Amino acid sequence: MTQSQSKAQSKAQSQSKPQSQSQSDSPDAPGRAVTARLRGVHKSYGPTRVLDLPELDLYAGQVVGVVGENGAGKSTLMGTLAGSVHRDGGEIEIDGRPLVPGSTAAAQQLGVALVSQEFPLVGQLSVTENLMLGRRPRASRRRFLVDRKAQRAEAAAMLTDIGLPPDSVPLGREVRLLPAPTRQLLEIAKGWGRAPRLLILDEPTSSLGPVEAALVLALARRLADEGGTVLFIGHRLDEVREISDRVLVLRNGRLVADLDRAQADEDRLIREMVGGEISHLAPKEALTEGEVLLGLSQVTADGLGPVDLEIRRGEILGVAGLMGSGRSRLVHTVAGAQPATGGQMVLDGRRYRPRHAMDGVAAGVALIPEDRKEQALVLFAPIKANVTVGVLREISSRGVLRPGRQRAEAQRIAEGVNVRMQSVDQPVGSLSGGNQQRAIFGRAFAAKPKLLLRDAPTRGVDVGAKAEIYELVDRAAAAGTAVLVASSELEELLWICHRIAVMNHGRVVAVLDRAEATKERIMTAAAGTAHDPGPAVDPAGPAEVNPSTEPGTWGAA
Amino acid sequence: MTTHLTRPATGADKPGPAAPGRLRNLTRILVETPEAGIIAACVVVFVSIAANASTYASVGNLQVMGRDLAQVGILAIGESLVILTGGIDLSVGALAGLAGILAAWFNVSAGMPAPLAILLTLLICAVIGWWHGMMVTKLNVPPFVITLVTYTVSIGAALAITGGSPINGIDPLFSNLSAYYVDQVPVPALFFVGAAVIAWFVLERTYVGRQVYAVGGNKEAARLVGIPVARRITATYVASSCLAGVVGILVIGRMNVADPSVGGSGWELTAIAAAVVGGVSLFGGEGRIIGIAAGAILLEFISNGLLALKVSAYDQEMVQGAVLGVAILLDRLRARRFTRVRS
Repeated sequence: MTQSQSKAQSKAQSQSKPQSQSQSDSPDAPGRAVTARLRGVHKSYGPTRVLDLPELDLYAGQVVGVVGENGAGKSTLMGTLAGSVHRDGGEIEIDGRPLVPGSTAAAQQLGVALVSQEFPLVGQLSVTENLMLGRRPRASRRRFLVDRKAQRAEAAAMLTDIGLPPDSVPLGREVRLLPAPTRQLLEIAKGWGRAPRLLILDEPTSSLGPVEAALVLALARRLADEGGTVLFIGHRLDEVREISDRVLVLRNGRLVADLDRAQADEDRLIREMVGGEISHLAPKEALTEGEVLLGLSQVTADGLGPVDLEIRRGEILGVAGLMGSGRSRLVHTVAGAQPATGGQMVLDGRRYRPRHAMDGVAAGVALIPEDRKEQALVLFAPIKANVTVGVLREISSRGVLRPGRQRAEAQRIAEGVNVRMQSVDQPVGSLSGGNQQRAIFGRAFAAKPKLLLRDAPTRGVDVGAKAEIYELVDRAAAAGTAVLVASSELEELLWICHRIAVMNHGRVVAVLDRAEATKERIMTAAAGTAHDPGPAVDPAGPAEVNPSTEPGTWGAA
Repeated sequence: MTTHLTRPATGADKPGPAAPGRLRNLTRILVETPEAGIIAACVVVFVSIAANASTYASVGNLQVMGRDLAQVGILAIGESLVILTGGIDLSVGALAGLAGILAAWFNVSAGMPAPLAILLTLLICAVIGWWHGMMVTKLNVPPFVITLVTYTVSIGAALAITGGSPINGIDPLFSNLSAYYVDQVPVPALFFVGAAVIAWFVLERTYVGRQVYAVGGNKEAARLVGIPVARRITATYVASSCLAGVVGILVIGRMNVADPSVGGSGWELTAIAAAVVGGVSLFGGEGRIIGIAAGAILLEFISNGLLALKVSAYDQEMVQGAVLGVAILLDRLRARRFTRVRS
């Protein structure tokens, strides 16, 4: 860190002491009414204090961005306000009325609505029923009987109200049949429909394309203009800066910076979030040496191919492409999770024909799944069980597991990837997100894979944890493992990869060395029909890489 | 609808070939009416057995089936309510047995008038259901465990109360409940229909019922929107236990004696089977009364049909199990065919 930077930072910190801030009123909010007043709110899980806010006021008419690393206390703050987390102590007032701890019903009564990124919708129920969940239509006088007509009318009005074209979402459809972006929009409509005073948006745009994301940002602005308050939690800093009047930075459960819009530039936010500076990795040279580990020739699968591709040992190969380009399919086909229907794969000089993910594992291919909670970890099981699950045979003698040996091996694996933990006996779910991620990598490395596959690695992962993932990927490659990474985030691929394969309609349309790869060239190849990337098209920004369905097609007929 | 039905949720596929309109409509109806298969199965089974056994479709035999249905069907409805919330109630069979004993004991040994005995029995059942709900929602006891406790205790209590011998001389009201006909329809069958209609109405047409689905489908979502999750779950256990009580009372009326060896003879498993065959998901949140009723009817058609076809008593259960297995297999194949596009 340079001297000027550190000076700026210490200045920022002294300036942004929460106490002084809220007593003397934020400069851009003079005399505003306070929507939410928090005093001495704190929450601990075991010995760890995950939230500690001596004093915080949220003003009416503002969009307040909240940023912080995983485990910084963002979710706890939101949950405390929404009543889903039972705070240990402190007072919260919404519009001057006290909020009892730990009751979602009470929070709703006071006008707090939480839109979560986890889509807490009931998949088996219809769109209408989900939108109306837990309440009755305003226009209905029936107390016990469901008034379907009124429900449908109100549900339709809710969707129109957030700016969706009428009939763009089929109201009678079961929610589980709808694509993820539509479900996210429903969740937003659900929160919006409660006419909230304080709307908490938890990474609302992470699963949305640019059209829907713009819609959500417009909603946040609208509520603020109408005198409400929006708490906007985001990982995409540019987006948070764009929408917010004020940005709060949390670190280790504390408010470390309280910035107005002008102060909140990206560098500053990142510095405050990580409490230092993250190292920027230099672009990598293409690997020209090293033997080919995996070769694909004319490989086809459902929605894929034919694909020709080669990966060398120690190489990190990125796979870019729009949604539906076959990016994930390629990874899954190589892993054996999706059967190949034609062509040949050669792994380490041998014919490789996986029928199941099991075959892939046996051949030395490790897939690190997309969703660490659902697909990768048994959260309530101890770290030692989670990290040794792939090497149980190796650490058993004659089929009998030795607890001592398992523990020692787990210790070695976890320390090898710097998992910050108290002991390998604690549940892996008690670790922070970044450390869970490390544990997963540790487990994958323990099986000494020749080829590591990673699909969409960073949804919902913050800046600091991303850097950790990159570092772990680098480490694997340095040890001679070939790494295949599919991602929709171009910066990420440009950051970590030696080469980038661009996919379009199930085929690899370009393979770019890092030196020649630019966002524009990748996008041209990904979006166009030409195999040779021409001059840069109008850069609609990286968001374009994750296009959504057109307006009017949110799962509609 | 085509957009997302032909495109997997991952969005990583090109849209499949569009089906012709009519076929697509049919597909849609099948996807959205999972009960269609089970109802068809009922018809097929009934017709094919009736074609081979002359007595099967006779009024007398239909009346027998109607009475049987009251047992299997009412238990299945109660059981399904619990399963809809993601729980399970293993106690219903044993509790039905105990309820019969209790009602008879109150009536005969304690000398209470029959209506009071019935009321008291149902009240005790309600309390037991409430206790299940409390244990499950407040103390997080797995439903399997707490209802297994009741199962064991109920069987034991029935034996302890009676000393193992049947209670004779119960009030004629009991047998009247079971023996009367309305236009040739046995009263117990009407109980079954009544229970089904009420359950359907509550589940489909009241907020409380829809909230039960929400609780079973996604407990967290239900909690976050302020649905009283614990109360909804507890209510299903109360309903399940009360319906078990009703069945117990109907059974002693039918036999005109309260036999302690009747309860716990695997009725809960039949009830669960009827629910599952009828499309209820053991994970909760899925399944409708029409399917559950059809499931119970199918099981009754089969077990009675085996008698009519004079299948050896020793082979009956095996055949029944096999038929169940095939039914579930077919249902899963159908589900896979029509849900593959979803996942």
